[in-house]
Amino acid sequence: MRDIHRISVTVNGRRYDREVESRKLLVDFLREDLGLVGTHVGCEHGVCGTCTVLLNGESIRSCLTFAVQADGAAIMTVEGLARDGQLHPLQEAFREKQALQCGYCTPGMLLRAYEILQDNPSPRPEDVRKGIASNLCRCTGYQFIIEAILDAASRLRAAGAVPGSARREEVLP
Amino acid sequence: MTAPLSPSPPRRWVGKSIPRIEDPKFLLGRGGYIDDLAVPGMLHAAVVRSPHAHARITRVDVEAARRLPGVVAVVTGAEAATLCNPLPDFGPAPDKHVWRCLAVDKVRYVGEGVAAVVAESRYLAEDGCDLVSVEYEVLPPVVDPIAASQPGAPLVHDALGSNVAYERTFVFGDVERDFAEADLVVRDRLRWHRSGGQPLETVGALAQYDPGTGMLTIYCNSLTFTHFLFMVANTLKIPSNKLDIRPTPAGGSFGSKFWAVKVAVLAGMLARLTGRPVKFIEDRVDNISNCDHHGSDRIYDVELAVMKDGTLRSLKIDVVDDYGAYIQFGTGTHGNSLAQVVGPYRIRSVRYGVHAVLTNKCQQGAHRGFGSEVTNWVVERMVDLAARALAMDPVEIRRRNFIRPDQFPYVIPTGNMYDSGNYDGVLTKALELADYAHWRREQERLRREGRYIGIGVISCQERSVFSATEFWFWFDQPAAKVTSAPESVTLCVDAAGNVTATLYSNAFWGNSPDTVVAQLVAEEFGVDPASVTVVYSGSNRGLPATGPGGSRFTVMIAGAISGAAARIKEKAARIAAHLLEVSVADLEWADGGFRVKGAPTRAKSLAEIALWAHLFKHSLPDDIETGLVADKVYDHPYTTMPSDDRKNLGVFYPFVGNACHIPVVEVDIDTGAVTFLKYVAVHDAGTMVNPRSLEGQIIGGTAHGIGTALLEEYVYDAGGQLLTTSYMDYVIPSSMEVPDVIVGHQETPSPFTVHGIKGGGEGGRMMTPAAVSAAIDDALAPFGVRCNEIPATPERVKARIDAARKEHR
Amino acid sequence: MKPAPFAYHAARTVKEAVSLLGEFQDGGRVLAGGQSLVPLMNFRLARPSHLVDINPVEELDYIRRADGVLAIGARTRQAAAERSPLVRDQAPLLAEALGWVGHEPIRHRGTVVGSIAHADPAAEIPAVALALDGEVTALSTRGERTIAAADFFRGPFATALEPRELVTELRLKIWPPGTGYAFLEFARRHGDFAIAGAGVLLHLGPGGVDQAAVVLCGVGDTPVRARRAEERLLGHPPTPEALDEAAEAAVADLTPPGDVHGSPQYRRKVARAYVRRALTLALERARRGGRP
Repeated sequence: MRDIHRISVTVNGRRYDREVESRKLLVDFLREDLGLVGTHVGCEHGVCGTCTVLLNGESIRSCLTFAVQADGAAIMTVEGLARDGQLHPLQEAFREKQALQCGYCTPGMLLRAYEILQDNPSPRPEDVRKGIASNLCRCTGYQFIIEAILDAASRLRAAGAVPGSARREEVLP
Repeated sequence: MTAPLSPSPPRRWVGKSIPRIEDPKFLLGRGGYIDDLAVPGMLHAAVVRSPHAHARITRVDVEAARRLPGVVAVVTGAEAATLCNPLPDFGPAPDKHVWRCLAVDKVRYVGEGVAAVVAESRYLAEDGCDLVSVEYEVLPPVVDPIAASQPGAPLVHDALGSNVAYERTFVFGDVERDFAEADLVVRDRLRWHRSGGQPLETVGALAQYDPGTGMLTIYCNSLTFTHFLFMVANTLKIPSNKLDIRPTPAGGSFGSKFWAVKVAVLAGMLARLTGRPVKFIEDRVDNISNCDHHGSDRIYDVELAVMKDGTLRSLKIDVVDDYGAYIQFGTGTHGNSLAQVVGPYRIRSVRYGVHAVLTNKCQQGAHRGFGSEVTNWVVERMVDLAARALAMDPVEIRRRNFIRPDQFPYVIPTGNMYDSGNYDGVLTKALELADYAHWRREQERLRREGRYIGIGVISCQERSVFSATEFWFWFDQPAAKVTSAPESVTLCVDAAGNVTATLYSNAFWGNSPDTVVAQLVAEEFGVDPASVTVVYSGSNRGLPATGPGGSRFTVMIAGAISGAAARIKEKAARIAAHLLEVSVADLEWADGGFRVKGAPTRAKSLAEIALWAHLFKHSLPDDIETGLVADKVYDHPYTTMPSDDRKNLGVFYPFVGNACHIPVVEVDIDTGAVTFLKYVAVHDAGTMVNPRSLEGQIIGGTAHGIGTALLEEYVYDAGGQLLTTSYMDYVIPSSMEVPDVIVGHQETPSPFTVHGIKGGGEGGRMMTPAAVSAAIDDALAPFGVRCNEIPATPERVKARIDAARKEHR
Repeated sequence: MKPAPFAYHAARTVKEAVSLLGEFQDGGRVLAGGQSLVPLMNFRLARPSHLVDINPVEELDYIRRADGVLAIGARTRQAAAERSPLVRDQAPLLAEALGWVGHEPIRHRGTVVGSIAHADPAAEIPAVALALDGEVTALSTRGERTIAAADFFRGPFATALEPRELVTELRLKIWPPGTGYAFLEFARRHGDFAIAGAGVLLHLGPGGVDQAAVVLCGVGDTPVRARRAEERLLGHPPTPEALDEAAEAAVADLTPPGDVHGSPQYRRKVARAYVRRALTLALERARRGGRP
């Protein structure tokens, strides 16, 4: 007898009502049940950060959370960054600075970067470097990622970004 | 020496750091990686892994697993052996070290697959694995390669009769004379432990069998050597033209997705068995313990013969390499070593003894550098030892021995050739960027404060584009003297004038193939790279292609594109001549079309020519076929055969770049921890196609190399238990473990490749361990510490500091 | 690496949580942050048949000060504690130690009390609990009891708790104003498990050190309170020699574990160096009146 629960989750502003087995990991729920394959699986034990999403505005490892725990929560995945076909300044900066090579860590890294800039719109390079220590990248050696995040920070400041404000509005229903 | 093949500079697109063509889909989370694919009715597989290093399988009970609701099939090793032949194996005796997708009679390493479960979900498949009950008769393991090579040691493969799968000593040049004449011989024993690519994405495959057509289609993030795939078909017991392996982008490889056939075979076998699509994705434990891609695991005894003026004369290398339980690529990793075994130096002779030993561990495969990074480390360790013995500056001793720019192409004692180079230029540039003199002063100042700062200076080669000969020149009577390692492309200019490039191997490992191809095509046709479409073909669409590996892809695809573009231009010129009513000799290629020399307004653009070519057959000369498309299979442009006596291995890896890395480190003598104060890397990989891209790979490769130098090791205990089974214990660097890398470039083109490109993707990692070891020794020079083991973990460094201090008392 | 099946129960109140645990006994486990438990479940090293999720128990999300003690509820996230002005002011050793716990995304979910209950000998928070003479409230259907931190940690991942008990609160003693503190840790990578970590509290009076606590993590089967080091410091001026001897005393009786990251001997060497460094930093801060 499988332990099934009904959950209601908002992902990237859209509500989903589904039934899930209790042991289903949030990352698998997003990928398989919702078809949002942008969030990737790296290690399944919370070390690499590849599966990073925002849960109620905070970055988490979605491989260490059960989908059933996300009932009632608002989640943001990489699919929620671009709006109406327009890349988010972070995505544009990643492209311009070549902050990705294989792209596998990129979705998780983008969301973590998004959070870092929400918390601190004017980070120093060392703040960014320390902030992304939560997310492993095997390809880039991190340098171009840090450049991209700093570049995005200045773009966002120029566009009048305010810490903390955008995040809640964007992810809560 | 042939004339340069490429159009001379100025180049319009080659050399530009354009943003990458492939990025948007990855940024949007639409990368299309293997696990992103799903088809109706798809099942999921998981593998039951051996908990023992060495054991006979006495019983496999799958009944409980089969009965679990949701489980569709369970396959034991014995059953798999009826469904599949052994896996393709390029080792010395494939019929004696038989390698199968699941173990049959015994398990030979912790993690080896024993059974596979297929179920409606991965969760259920793992539940099924829990219910598979395997009885083992545990056998004594062999873990130490030296012990494994002794008579009487337990055998990994009984049929082989020995754990020494291969051994031979090669002599190149007059080693004995060079040693006899030497003023000084320095010796050391060096130990390089195994590490591996560990990309964030594991290997995976999705297989579908169509009983109506007999076609087995396998999507996989590994697809190299498409012209060898008939071997995989043979393994799967299907006709070779009934197998289509389709590539998906790979989330990194670093060697570990090079010919990773086992996962594809498992998925294919299970799809045929169940009659439904089957997806098998390695989990992290699979990818650490059962990946078939551990890196070199070597014990070296080395002697370097030196003259008192610092001239390096000769090298004697004896190496034991622990290959693990199988030896799929033979001793190819030593071919990589022999390609550049003298480093950038005029060393005159080399003796190289290799002992390939089997043990109860996961087998070796490819790890960025494929064995040559180890030799780089070894040679530089010995040069530094000689420098220390002669009280000579490490920069000076290198300068004295560099092959000079006027000596290229330079044939090294093994017979391989270095095509071009300017090693002193690279070194000088690195010293400038590093502000070397300043750091030497800082070192002095900080030493007085009780801090231990060190500067490493190394100069090493980065060979690129292997020839197939390096897999068989080990044997006097090789089973198959394979000499093909091509890359192919199809270029199509459609009726609207848009260009599509089709690639035939899994080229995307993070190495920017779409961008590089678009830039090369743009260079040929004068189009915007953003307008070029790059598609990846499945294997059954024909053209043979080897894929990335040995830093070969850019060089080889440039050759293929150049060849296909030339064929297209030839046909286009004939059409243009016909349309313009001139002869082909009157035309010149300019501004994306053909124009009449001296009358530039009389021209036809490529788009116009294409339209005619596609639609108006009868308006063109009779022998011109409809369309404007060309294939090119580009074979290795410079390979020569080994001599029969193997005293000369021929040219097999001739496009050789060079780099100088200069790290400045601080060593904490209480803990042995190494931190970076600065890091400079100057690379010369010939002409760069996309400098920013190459820089990214150099920086990433350096970070990867720091992992190798300080952090990463697959650790097996004395009983063969793998102690590093997760990312908690196999530690790859985060952003906090690696410094900013100041990258410098030098471009010494190859005379033999299109545009003078050389391969550069592996280079970063090929330098770092040597550089970091040198820096550690330099920091700890007051103690006389010698870094002779990789990784130089804090514990190992601390042990050496304490041992040296004890000695001084 | 998917977990084995289990039955999931979300508790909304403490009473509900305790009642559920009482029902499931050995088969039930508390799910709080999950940052330690879920990896074990994904490896199938832990296979609880029932998970009682206390994340919805809002009433356990608090940090309060009362009677010289800082009380932290079981649902309080590590990140919240790290940022809390109350924690930074009244138990700065905890705030500093929290910065070493994994990475920020882990601390967004992980709980302070969860780390105590998990009892990883390499973990920082259990060591801080020892330093601050911590105690926990353990609640079950049988009643409530208080367990001192000194009695709580029994071995690697083993505590004095019974399967049906829920830890509802951790209480930490508040040290006098001007206390110097330091928590330093050595690991393979930033955020990794400690090879050795050291926490120090020093309060200075007219005769020298009048209060001291020295704790270690990563060097035993449980966190270690280095009483001999404290004895060496108490009542004496904090001279460099005294600090050296205290560091030596801190590691003299240790029997550290060995693994791929460090042998027992190596851990002991690192521990001594880190105790010494933590003593230096704590002393500097004490001399600055307890300011960072």
